Amino acid sequence: MLSHSQQQEDIRQEMNFKTLVFVFAIAIFFLILILRLLQLQHFEYEKNMKRAEENRIRKIDIKANRGYILDRNGVVLVRNRPSYQISLLYNQLKTKEARDSVFNRLLRITNSDGKRLLDSASLAFSFERGRWQKFKFQRLIEDAAPEIVAIFEERGEELPGIEILVESRRDYPFGSQGAHIFGYTSEISEQELELPENSHYVMGDRIGKKGLELSYEKEFRGENGSRYIEVNALGREMGSVAGMPFIKPISGNIIVTTIDWRLQQVAETAIPEGLKGAIVVLNPQNGEIYAMVSRPPLDPNIFSLEKRELHKAWASVALDTAKPLTNRAISGLYPPASVFKVITSAAGLEDNVITEHTKYKTCLGGFRFGNRYAKCWRGGGHGVLNVIGALRESCDVFFYQAGLDIGSRRIGEMGRRFGLGSALGIDIPGERSGLLIDSASYERWFAKKGWKWSHGEILNIAIGQGALLVTPLQQTAMIGALASGQGLYKPHFLKEVRSPEGELIKKNEPEKIGDGNISLRTRGIILKGLDEVVNSPRGTGRRAIVPGVKVGGKTGSAENPHGDKTHAWFAAVAPIEDPEIAVGVVLENAGGGGAMAAPIAQKVLHAYFYPDSVKILKTEGTE
Amino acid sequence: MKRLDWLFMTSLILLIGIGIVLVYSATSNSGLIWYKTEWFKQIIHFAIGSLMAVVIVLMPAKSWKNIAWIAYFLSIITLLMVMNSGHISKGAGRWLDIAGFRLQPSEFAKITYLLISSLWLSKNRVSIMRPKTLIVPGLLFIVPFSLVLKQPNLSTALVFTAMTLVHLYWAGFRLVDLFLFVSPVASVILSSVSTLYWNLLIICVFFISIKFKFPLWIIILVMTFDIGSGYVSQMVWNSMEDHQRSRILTFIDPMRDPKGEGYQVIQSQVAIGSGGMFGKGFGEGSQTNLAFLPEEHTDFIFSVLGEQFGFVGTFVVLILFFILLWRGIMICRLHPDNFVNLVVAGACSILFFHVFVNVAMTIGFMPVTGLPLPFLSYGGSFVITCMILVGLLLNMRLKGKDI
Repeated sequence: MLSHSQQQEDIRQEMNFKTLVFVFAIAIFFLILILRLLQLQHFEYEKNMKRAEENRIRKIDIKANRGYILDRNGVVLVRNRPSYQISLLYNQLKTKEARDSVFNRLLRITNSDGKRLLDSASLAFSFERGRWQKFKFQRLIEDAAPEIVAIFEERGEELPGIEILVESRRDYPFGSQGAHIFGYTSEISEQELELPENSHYVMGDRIGKKGLELSYEKEFRGENGSRYIEVNALGREMGSVAGMPFIKPISGNIIVTTIDWRLQQVAETAIPEGLKGAIVVLNPQNGEIYAMVSRPPLDPNIFSLEKRELHKAWASVALDTAKPLTNRAISGLYPPASVFKVITSAAGLEDNVITEHTKYKTCLGGFRFGNRYAKCWRGGGHGVLNVIGALRESCDVFFYQAGLDIGSRRIGEMGRRFGLGSALGIDIPGERSGLLIDSASYERWFAKKGWKWSHGEILNIAIGQGALLVTPLQQTAMIGALASGQGLYKPHFLKEVRSPEGELIKKNEPEKIGDGNISLRTRGIILKGLDEVVNSPRGTGRRAIVPGVKVGGKTGSAENPHGDKTHAWFAAVAPIEDPEIAVGVVLENAGGGGAMAAPIAQKVLHAYFYPDSVKILKTEGTE
Repeated sequence: MKRLDWLFMTSLILLIGIGIVLVYSATSNSGLIWYKTEWFKQIIHFAIGSLMAVVIVLMPAKSWKNIAWIAYFLSIITLLMVMNSGHISKGAGRWLDIAGFRLQPSEFAKITYLLISSLWLSKNRVSIMRPKTLIVPGLLFIVPFSLVLKQPNLSTALVFTAMTLVHLYWAGFRLVDLFLFVSPVASVILSSVSTLYWNLLIICVFFISIKFKFPLWIIILVMTFDIGSGYVSQMVWNSMEDHQRSRILTFIDPMRDPKGEGYQVIQSQVAIGSGGMFGKGFGEGSQTNLAFLPEEHTDFIFSVLGEQFGFVGTFVVLILFFILLWRGIMICRLHPDNFVNLVVAGACSILFFHVFVNVAMTIGFMPVTGLPLPFLSYGGSFVITCMILVGLLLNMRLKGKDI
């Protein structure tokens, strides 16, 4: 026991000595550090301070190049251009005199017309902000024109603290064409920065706000890099600093779309100037969208404008009663009008409520139902027709009577089978689901207005009026799926994702979203009807004839509360036996579908089947 | 005696607080949303680290002996894993992604090596006279050391080395033994600096070994090693490629190449020096704000301190570190147990080595090694390592008697 405690005492003494050595050793090491710090911070303070002031190394973020958008054949639809930002680095201006002189010089800078480039209020604001964020670039002129950049470069020596930064902005070689598809980018807002999914962004980054730019933001953006540069006394870059980390930016991925730019351009120019409306062109066998146009057009370049200009431009488009910002192809809601008669027919045929041979009371230009007289579009009447003839000549009286027999439930069910009444899930934001209701849902839907379902409502629905609304996209997908008999495919723009080097990263597989199953017999009768609409001498859609190709289609003229003239509809497929293209055209308040919309669909179809007849046209100002 | 050491705790909390403030200052320009910023993440790191430290304090002191072997082997396995599948960060494969977390196995190897070395040496004393006693400690050391060195992570490998020397001292080496033990390394350094110093060293080693009556075989061995390593290093130097030589020369004199490898060190010295006596004020450092310094919130956080708070700031922080280490090592005097002593001495030496090497680097005494500053530098794995070491120290203080 004694030896044990003796041993413990020995250890204790040994440890006491060793801890003393340890403390002594670290005390010496710390003393060395402190003496060196005293030397640096006290005795060599002046020297170090001077060197700090002369320091001209700067870390520069290199923003990643945003990925391009291509059409299916490799035509570049959206690319990037350099954009120059005239910026102030407040820290470069140490004294009040220096600041005042730069401020006054900036105020006096004019462009070639003698107009001042900066006003004192906004300049004062930038200087005030710079006072709080000395080490951050304050933007004075955003996206400066080359002429303005030249002015500042020339006068660089008089303007210390003013630097020209280069950023990359979106460039749209085809101007407003396709603008509703592409969407646009703009500087990320503070609210957006707070979202957890935007954690990779910093203030000043640009982010997709609409269309494909928004949908595929993750693919487009890439990863920013950074490098260190040396600048001269005026803040002009002298070159990179060797030995400092250089982080290469990673460019964003390329999105290859399903768009066929030739068709897009034909469609863009097909709608007469001044009319509002939309065109959708897609492949019903896989959902690939070849073209999509919405009128009035939108110039995406306004979103790249300088902030002040942007506000003005934005206000003008946002307040425009024609709503150029709306992509009518997916957000515009229209009564499907007579095009819907194919759904009514299919609903009746499928359940054998009507057959190919069913005939109703003679059309004398109208139909009496209770105390109501419902007119046919042709005052003179159509006589007695079967379903094919009724489709061909779009006889309302036939469908009034058929509708009463078929009932709203069957019609609603058939509509849903082909994607009406719900969004199809296209890969750009803003799609609306439209309206497709039957007697059951009618009162629920209009509960606020206190409307009650009346049996007469079926007369409206059977001819595509009343409580029915569709988007041009839905109308096109519907006619395509009905005619192809291969099911309803999700409409989409994404074909492939490719790396900046062009390697394939991802291929978008077509996705079936509905079986669209109707019997061969029903389909045969409907196709016959569509065929006769275009190719029969008495058809309403004769202006859609394309030589050498059998086109099928259906006209529509939607009555609406917004004007005297009807909305003109035309929905077409070709070749009718095995449709590889479906076209939907709507023109607001333009008149009859056969006269106004069918010729536009014809132009698109002609371009599709005779590709050599059209050439891609560059807009002005591009190579 | 069982109570918490308030001097220790106060220094610790002050250091952590200063660290978060400095990380905030160094990264506040990033423009990120607050919960994505480094300073906020650093608070989270310390919250996690503190939680782990509390759990460690509550564990029975004996448990470290029980898990030492398993933990050691596990960390060797993770080091092997990182060799094959490591995340490449700055060209060095040091990271391992486990369940969404990026971990640095070399950080945790510091702790597992500390435990295993303490366990072995607490039962087996070492002596330079009996080289057999060095075999097992040598093996325990060389495996994690070489794995980390191969990453390549020289600085962490040197942490193992520094801790091992202190452990050898605690487990039976005398100071003079340590001197002879490291003399070959000193010989390499001095032989490349000047022949005169090198000759002096060799003479010193000779007379000291005679004076302390070392057996002849040890004297011959040491002298052979010292003279041999001096010559070999000269030969290696001559056969080196230019860029390798340039790196070493820049280490010795950063001014040689102001825009190249020595750049960061010079920028750091200018930043600290321009802080003067009282600093430029919080958030006012033009050096750090204009990002003259890369990695200012990790390895060069001390430069941010020096620039913004001047000599007063650097002095206070170094004093806090000194108090922390002094109160830490004094735990040895509370409990005479070997294991407790070795854990405490090892933990303190790991912390001290980091502090000294990091600060020495920022003021141009050492090359840029990439060793962060405990409690101040940004970084998840490292913060947690430091907090685990603190937890071990507190655990030994409170429960070391029961061992």
